[in-house]
Amino acid sequence: MSMRKYLSRTLLSAALLLGVGAAFAEDAKPVKLNTTADHSKFKELQKDFKSGPEVTKACLACHTEAAGQIHRTKHWKWEYLNPENGQRLGKKNIVNNFCISIPSNYAWCTGCHVGYGWKDANFDFSSEENVDCLACHDTTGNYKKPAGLAGNPPTQDIESPPGSGKIMKAVNLSKVAQAVGKTSRDTCGACHFNGGGGDGVKHGDMDSSLAAPDKELDVHMDASGLDFTCGTCHKASSHDVAGSRYTPTAMDKGGAHIKGKAETGNPTTCVACHGNGPHKKAGLAERLNLHARKIACQTCHIPTIARGGVPTKLSWDWSTSGKRDAEGKGFVKKDAKGHIIYDSRKGDFVLGENVKPEYVWFNGQVKYTLVGDKVDKSDGVTKINTMGGSPDDGKSMIWPMKVFRGVQPYDAGNKTLVTPHVAGNDDTGYWKNFVWDKAIAVGMKDSGHPFSGKVDFIKTQMSWPITHMVAPKEKALGCAECHSAEGRLKGIPGVYMPARGDLSPWVDRAGWTLALLTLVGVLIHGALRIVSAKKH
Amino acid sequence: MKSTKIMGALALVSLLGAAFSAQAYDGDWKRGRVYYRSVCTACHTAGKTPGAINPSSKTKAEWNAYLSADKHAKGKDSVKQWAGQAYRNSIKATNKAAEKFATVPDAELMEDVKVFLMKGAKDGDAPASCS
Amino acid sequence: MAERIYIFKRFERFWHWSQAALIMFMMLTGFEVHGAYKFLGFDRAVDLHTNAAWALITLWVFAVFWHFTTGEWKQYIPTLEKADAMLKFYLTGIFTNAPHPFRQSQLIKHNPLQRLAYLGVKLFINPLIWASGLLYLFYGSWGAWGIGGLRLEWVALAHVVGAFLMLTFFIAHVYLGTAGHTPTSHIKAMITGWEEVE
Repeated sequence: MSMRKYLSRTLLSAALLLGVGAAFAEDAKPVKLNTTADHSKFKELQKDFKSGPEVTKACLACHTEAAGQIHRTKHWKWEYLNPENGQRLGKKNIVNNFCISIPSNYAWCTGCHVGYGWKDANFDFSSEENVDCLACHDTTGNYKKPAGLAGNPPTQDIESPPGSGKIMKAVNLSKVAQAVGKTSRDTCGACHFNGGGGDGVKHGDMDSSLAAPDKELDVHMDASGLDFTCGTCHKASSHDVAGSRYTPTAMDKGGAHIKGKAETGNPTTCVACHGNGPHKKAGLAERLNLHARKIACQTCHIPTIARGGVPTKLSWDWSTSGKRDAEGKGFVKKDAKGHIIYDSRKGDFVLGENVKPEYVWFNGQVKYTLVGDKVDKSDGVTKINTMGGSPDDGKSMIWPMKVFRGVQPYDAGNKTLVTPHVAGNDDTGYWKNFVWDKAIAVGMKDSGHPFSGKVDFIKTQMSWPITHMVAPKEKALGCAECHSAEGRLKGIPGVYMPARGDLSPWVDRAGWTLALLTLVGVLIHGALRIVSAKKH
Repeated sequence: MKSTKIMGALALVSLLGAAFSAQAYDGDWKRGRVYYRSVCTACHTAGKTPGAINPSSKTKAEWNAYLSADKHAKGKDSVKQWAGQAYRNSIKATNKAAEKFATVPDAELMEDVKVFLMKGAKDGDAPASCS
Repeated sequence: MAERIYIFKRFERFWHWSQAALIMFMMLTGFEVHGAYKFLGFDRAVDLHTNAAWALITLWVFAVFWHFTTGEWKQYIPTLEKADAMLKFYLTGIFTNAPHPFRQSQLIKHNPLQRLAYLGVKLFINPLIWASGLLYLFYGSWGAWGIGGLRLEWVALAHVVGAFLMLTFFIAHVYLGTAGHTPTSHIKAMITGWEEVE
């Protein structure tokens, strides 16, 4: 476009805008443009709510089906039946190597339940008013559900965590209720950023730095750019949110989703928007798209995790917990940045920022070691979740994983993992008493498993597929990150990768020897010629 | 205690009244957060003079007083101008937040930042230190 | 005074030296892609190696055309005649200043050992490198071509073996370039076209 044309167009549109602005400025009623319903105008919400369920009752008066929809979801049930292998999973049932398990610790863990009052195994899952609408629909950022209150927000100022001296303010439920809106990175993040008991602890690719990230940290969620919310990819239907860590989609051949077309595929995959041939750069596109047949997008496009300044936990050794200081009390040790690396209640931690993931063939099938399953210390490391996959099953891609390593208590008599009672201000809670057998006995009773009384520690590991913190394309991995002898994909079987040293070392030895012998031969020959030329 | 809050609120309303005429604008703390972190923090960060200033560096009352006085850099210029369209336009080529919010009315953006500061203040609902 | 005869025509010389440059460059980049060292960076090495390959293929199309239209392909018909004399010369005569047993002419440019060596390069090393290289390059199309059962490591192995043979040839060839009637006569001939003969 010529400069003059450009100028005239700009001026014209500016004039139009001004004209329109002037015409409408006085007439148009000021309205909110991000919603059709200003909840602060609803009489039902203009009251002093005393508890969460009271708010929910008000919500359900209009949103009659909402609670029933929630009841069908993992967010509510914390239970999931894996259709592929029949395993009964979900937070309620599995064991991990962080704070280990939910049973007997309900009131602490359920601070992240989308409900109110799950304080023991007798929680009423059919209750509609116990559904927590605000956890996901708060827009004020002031709604809090601290550990220990069984999913209830504090309705008066409380000390949280107890004994810390930190005061958590009462939540003004009326204000929160009147400002409800769509879910956001803040609402999802209130729990999902804090998995494993703290900011960034569990996942490595999700922490509070994603609440308002820059482009470097996440090219999609970039707060001053594309500004994706979680729901942009994790599309919800009838309150059921897409995406799963129990049955993830490892390989998506379905191409980009198209509006109006009945899509049955998982909307959260990269392919669901970018398609199966996403690379366009001339000259390189074909080669990269070829890579994308075997390598998950995340492998190259998430160079490291925990990039936002929040460290993630890499290992947790429960076996060193329980130490006491000179006064007989538990203590904590912190690193230079003030992050806890030892806590008498929990043991030793290793933290990391800008962590390179580990890579495996992954086909989306995850098998858990559950509480009743036999474990064997002589196996070395017990995999709490085993990621299925192989180079030639036609379903696997090379995926990045955060591998979290731990040492945790187990029942050395029955040879099973255990569900200890860690949290609780009582005489069996481990965090208060530092005594394992009592804590495990109570916890195992709660989860309904036998306990022999013999406690020992076992090495465990869990894998967490990495998919967030997608970097801008300029920051994607360069070829040599993997195409080198000590590259990231060292040891990945089933692929031939130039520069990784995949051929038998004898090929190189023979080749270089042949070339070298030839060189030595001609040098000797030449030297003899020079010597003999002088003689003759 | 309550009366000071009301006084503060009244001061705020009167401060912004001129810009908003009759209609009230609910500050968007999230937009304020992005603007504060991308624009204010560009200078007010550790390693640059005058060093890091986090929302939690001041109490709500202190922020209120600071914003009401509207004196930036010890009175060398105003606070408001840094959220103003003129400033945003001047940096929008290199600052994505300024570019994104380039056309937001000055008073609205200032209110967004204010709401964010109130929320993140030392005694706010969610004290915020930028990492 | 040595006699000079015109051996190598202009195209022949152009072909030889551009091929030499490309092969040296492809060895440099190729062994980096193979992981032998880090020099240009893997990405650039792959790119340049691929581009040089296409350049060399183009050159080859012209060269093959030239060989057939001019009949020069006959230069590579193997013969054992005087091969023993050549061998003996390289092993002993060359040290005692014995006369070179082979006399070049426009009709017979290469001595019998050269003929054998170049034929070996043309019939074995080059096809091995080209076939494996092209398969390597079109790895993504194997499925469509119905050769999906082929394994990349076999192709890579063939390519690497070819590269080592080429390197070996290259070393010997460069050295034997000094083993003419005088140490520089072959090289001068390859540059100017004129060979000094006794």
